[in-house]
Amino acid sequence: MKLYDSFRSALQSLVVNKLRSALTMLGVIIGVAAVIAMVSVGNGASQSVQNTILNLGSNLVTVTPQNATDQGLRGAGAQAQSLTVDDMRSIQEQLGDTIIAAEAEQQAGRWQVTAAGQNWNTTVSGVTEDYPIVRDWGVDSGEFFSTSDLNVNAQVAVLGSTTAVNLFGDVDPVGQTIQLRQAFGGGGGQGAAAQRARILNFRVLGVLGVKGSTFGQIRDDQILVPLTTAQHVLTGQLNRVNQIVIKATSSETMDITTSDVNNILLQRHDIADPASADFAVTNQNDTLAALSSVTGTFTLLLGAIGGISLLVGGIGIMNIMLVSVNERTREIGIRKAVGARRADILNQFLIEAVALTGLGGVIGILLGWAITEVVHRIPQAASLPLLITSGTVIIAVGVSVAIGVVFGLYPAMRAARLHPIQALRYE
Amino acid sequence: MIQSVVQLRGITKTYRIGREITVNALRGVDLDVRPAEFLAIMGPSGSGKSTLMNVLGCLDVADGGTYVLAGENVNKLSDDKLASIRNKHVGFVFQTYNLLSRLNAIENVELPLIYGGDRRARRERALAALEQVGLGDRIHHRPSELSGGQQQRVAIARALLNDPSMILADEPTGNLDSRSSAEILAIFQRLNDIGKTVVMVTHEPDVAAHCKRVVRMRDGLIAHDELVPNPRRAEDELTVGIGASG
Repeated sequence: MKLYDSFRSALQSLVVNKLRSALTMLGVIIGVAAVIAMVSVGNGASQSVQNTILNLGSNLVTVTPQNATDQGLRGAGAQAQSLTVDDMRSIQEQLGDTIIAAEAEQQAGRWQVTAAGQNWNTTVSGVTEDYPIVRDWGVDSGEFFSTSDLNVNAQVAVLGSTTAVNLFGDVDPVGQTIQLRQAFGGGGGQGAAAQRARILNFRVLGVLGVKGSTFGQIRDDQILVPLTTAQHVLTGQLNRVNQIVIKATSSETMDITTSDVNNILLQRHDIADPASADFAVTNQNDTLAALSSVTGTFTLLLGAIGGISLLVGGIGIMNIMLVSVNERTREIGIRKAVGARRADILNQFLIEAVALTGLGGVIGILLGWAITEVVHRIPQAASLPLLITSGTVIIAVGVSVAIGVVFGLYPAMRAARLHPIQALRYE
Repeated sequence: MIQSVVQLRGITKTYRIGREITVNALRGVDLDVRPAEFLAIMGPSGSGKSTLMNVLGCLDVADGGTYVLAGENVNKLSDDKLASIRNKHVGFVFQTYNLLSRLNAIENVELPLIYGGDRRARRERALAALEQVGLGDRIHHRPSELSGGQQQRVAIARALLNDPSMILADEPTGNLDSRSSAEILAIFQRLNDIGKTVVMVTHEPDVAAHCKRVVRMRDGLIAHDELVPNPRRAEDELTVGIGASG
């Protein structure tokens, strides 16, 4: 029996039982649509996370202080104070052109800020002059502070866009003065009480461009001051930084840069055993890899949920095929009487099941695509990039066809095994 | 000597009903059917004529004895081989017509060619067969749109399609009124006239009287085997020629 005849016969019987075929297909349609929609949401989520990471600046190698370990024991308590601005300058010097830029940061805690009669509370960070290059984040108006500002501990500041609006409204903040006071109970450090009493005037040099938020942290609400100013005027923790960030030339050179930085710092800190280093160097590739394994699991989970509905749809196919075989016992008998072999009957019912699931799969893909389009129009999810990849589509169709084969096989085998006489006598 | 279409020697068949009871449906049947014979198999219920029919049609396999159909020994063939034999050598006509209700007349007739034989010119051959039984104008009707007699004629056309060695009819007139019966019998006689071998199972003496030879079964054995001196002609019983009415 030619495949063409099998297909014709299968389609004919599906058309005869339109409602039943449609309902049976619905199981597969929903299953495939669920897989497509869920996986595209999952893919979108991982893409979104990736974008967020890259939003922090791309190709970054980050050094953070770490309590040194001693014979496998790591000191507990507050963050270690092992990194200095000289470490950063040394990296800058030694790596030279092999990196794009490097910067050091010190968090100065939350401060009460007043300007033009407006009151605001926000975080203040000390950073070095290459911050805009490293973070891919320039000023929108005015300018960023320079090395000379750092040299003289200048009391100048660059505002985040949200902070600028909250303090100055429509007025251009550049050239204006803001006053910092340590928020009550915040910041800490020695001499905090004295600092609280003091009003520190800062001249606004510029306003940063709009960046959005990263992991819930609104990055546009902050004040940047020169690192040396933060150390000498705000915190009193001299020559100490919370992190050093190095921008590698590309994603490919990140690993080399990471080991270079590691070597420089080990030498500077006079540490022979890398395992007992008092700092940690991480690069964005590692972070992305770690996060993409998380989001990959997430996508897999969503896909599995869709897969379960696909499985249920497959059982529906099997059920209806069994009913169909039963109903058409006489037909099977007639076909066998005129010369149909087992394989002919098997193919006929198998193709019928595959036609059901295959068609269901195609409709399911369209439905899944429609669902993602609808999800895209929900405001909360608008920023989520929804990705239907060709891989998803191929897998969905492949799986639905495979389900047709798997769940159609048993009913088809039952049909093929029928004895012609019994089948012909069946009422 | 002319080679027999059918050669049965010592055919036995036992059915087991439940665990204990066995029924000896056939207890050693010898039968020869020669080409262009028109044979009726008669007998009361339980005489084994249906079983014999199933064995003849290769729908069932005998437990013992030998069966040579058109020169081919079909004793111990696999299911798929038997299917091929049925396709090539046997044209079935059933009491209940057994047409596929989803298919129209010509598609029903084409069915044997889907499973074997010459695939080319399938439609032409099906059309020719339908014309042979006088239904050339009803090829797109579904079984539900045809009368019983017409449905049986479609079934005969289907049986003719692969030019089988033998047409095997199981009570072909059992569900038909006398006029339609006469029409069907007339078709069989006409086919027999042009050399087709027809074996017909019936319990009606009136029907058997149209055959050239009658075999009577009793208790799983052939009790009588006789030639009919002057078979009745079904055409004579019809005032109008065949194929003109339904």
